[in-house]
Amino acid sequence: MPETVLATRPAIPATTAAREKGASRVPLAAALLGFAVVFLVPCLGVLYTSLKSDADIAANGLWAPSGSLSLDNYLQAFSVGGTGRYLLNSVLVTVPATAVSVALGTLAGYAIAALRPRFGELIGFFLLAGLFVPPQILLIPLFQGFNATGLYDTLWPMIVVHSGYGISLCTLVMRNFFRSLPMELRAAGLVDGASEPRILASIVLPMTRPALAALATLQFTFIWNDFLYPLVFTRSDTLRTVMVGILQQQGQFSIAYGVQAAMAVLASLPTVAIFIAFQKHFIAGLTAGAVKG
Amino acid sequence: MTIRRTWWAWGFLAAPLLAYGIAVVWPALYSFAHGFTDWQAVGGGDFVGLAQFRRMAADPSFARALVNTLIWTVVGVLVPTVVGLALALALNRVTRFAKLIKSFFFLPLALSLVVVGQVWFWIYRPEDGLLNLLLDAVGLGSLAHAWLSDPDTALWAVMVAWGWQQVTLAMVIFLAGLTSVSRDLTEAAHMDGAGPWQRLRAVVLPALRPSSVVVISLSLINALKSFDIVYVMTGGGPFRQTETLAVLAYRVSFKTYDFGYGSAVSIVLFVVSIVIIGMFFAWNAWRDRHA
Repeated sequence: MPETVLATRPAIPATTAAREKGASRVPLAAALLGFAVVFLVPCLGVLYTSLKSDADIAANGLWAPSGSLSLDNYLQAFSVGGTGRYLLNSVLVTVPATAVSVALGTLAGYAIAALRPRFGELIGFFLLAGLFVPPQILLIPLFQGFNATGLYDTLWPMIVVHSGYGISLCTLVMRNFFRSLPMELRAAGLVDGASEPRILASIVLPMTRPALAALATLQFTFIWNDFLYPLVFTRSDTLRTVMVGILQQQGQFSIAYGVQAAMAVLASLPTVAIFIAFQKHFIAGLTAGAVKG
Repeated sequence: MTIRRTWWAWGFLAAPLLAYGIAVVWPALYSFAHGFTDWQAVGGGDFVGLAQFRRMAADPSFARALVNTLIWTVVGVLVPTVVGLALALALNRVTRFAKLIKSFFFLPLALSLVVVGQVWFWIYRPEDGLLNLLLDAVGLGSLAHAWLSDPDTALWAVMVAWGWQQVTLAMVIFLAGLTSVSRDLTEAAHMDGAGPWQRLRAVVLPALRPSSVVVISLSLINALKSFDIVYVMTGGGPFRQTETLAVLAYRVSFKTYDFGYGSAVSIVLFVVSIVIIGMFFAWNAWRDRHA
């Protein structure tokens, strides 16, 4: 299914009626293209603002066209705004938390779907229930817990919480994936006397690559874009992730719109890049998640 | 073999269950217990029974937040779903530049709500925001005003910004679902003389049922959690008119450090979430049986 998502429809047979139909679709494409541009005005706006000077913005307003564009704001974002530190923090949180949540979800999904222990379905349901737990209900106890263990105001809380909270989605996606996988190969491995971890590592995992890619793309985007946990679990400016860092700017340089816009662009680049590269996987992950849930 | 298999199943489940227990189960239970205390961040608290919930019933900002959350879960879910469906149906008909056009529409999905909120904040700026500039340009300058500081428009303005991204989510999932709509069936309906509207109702929409369940569940979950975008765009103001339950729970817990009340509000948010999503699933199961 994911492959076909982006494929154009097969060519229409060249009957007269069909040709007329095809012709009538050119205006539709043009209209949609136009609408897409309007739809993307917010994105274009940030991009444009990030290239304008603050003096220009102050004089002509935020959305006014400008004659002189430069990359100064980006340099400023790094030199004054501390964007480098924020981005690094985001990477240090997102990469391990994505890896751990996907790994744990794979283990759980595999155990439930393929090994079928007693009460396995019940445990699956218990793990999936986390999808409906609002993060707010977790904040106070976790805040207290991280304070007590000295982890408050480090990057660890975000790694720990995302790794655990992400298990619900990851288990759901992987359980559904393993259910659709033919398990004869596993049986063959068992007959050959391979151990369960060996079967998982060398027989099953190579087949899971598409599901893992979809899930990792999805989790990376969620965790990178998260705002609530770093807001609550960190305090020092040097430990903020980039999403909180952007807002930090608002207070400190209340009129540096250009720098703010540049930071927003920089903060969005990783997810946009991943999204463009793995669009297929991202969509597959989104739809695989709940279809059979 | 069965024994070994079970043993390993528990071996595989141990780490996920532990992490889930630490990050989700333990804190959720802890909050549940503390919603019945007068716990403050400094200096512990005592069991007070339902006192925090009675306090909530008398708290106008709780009533506002509850209503806002309900508006958000109904309007904020339905409108983007319908718009997303319409867009998906239109995009599915495009043959030229289809890939390019779709990529454009997908882009907002990659953005964080912080960035989305920030840009829309700029769009709504009273002095030089894009919306007021456009209204001025088309001669509707009299309609221009401070969208985010007017209590009558603030919530809707935030929901539009949020919906902008949700439309994309709905569209992406519907487009994926449309690839499973049988072309043969659509063609057959066409041959039988079914008009576009009839084909849509009899063939396409029924085939999109599974997709719409996914879209609506995801949107509901997102709507009930809506925090980031409100926090960024209005901070819950003006006069707490745009607070959702999620924002209220955060404010009570981490601005006033009233942990007991904060826990109680988050319990209500949890219960509201379960009830709304449960109702949707129940309705869905009922429809499946009566289809």
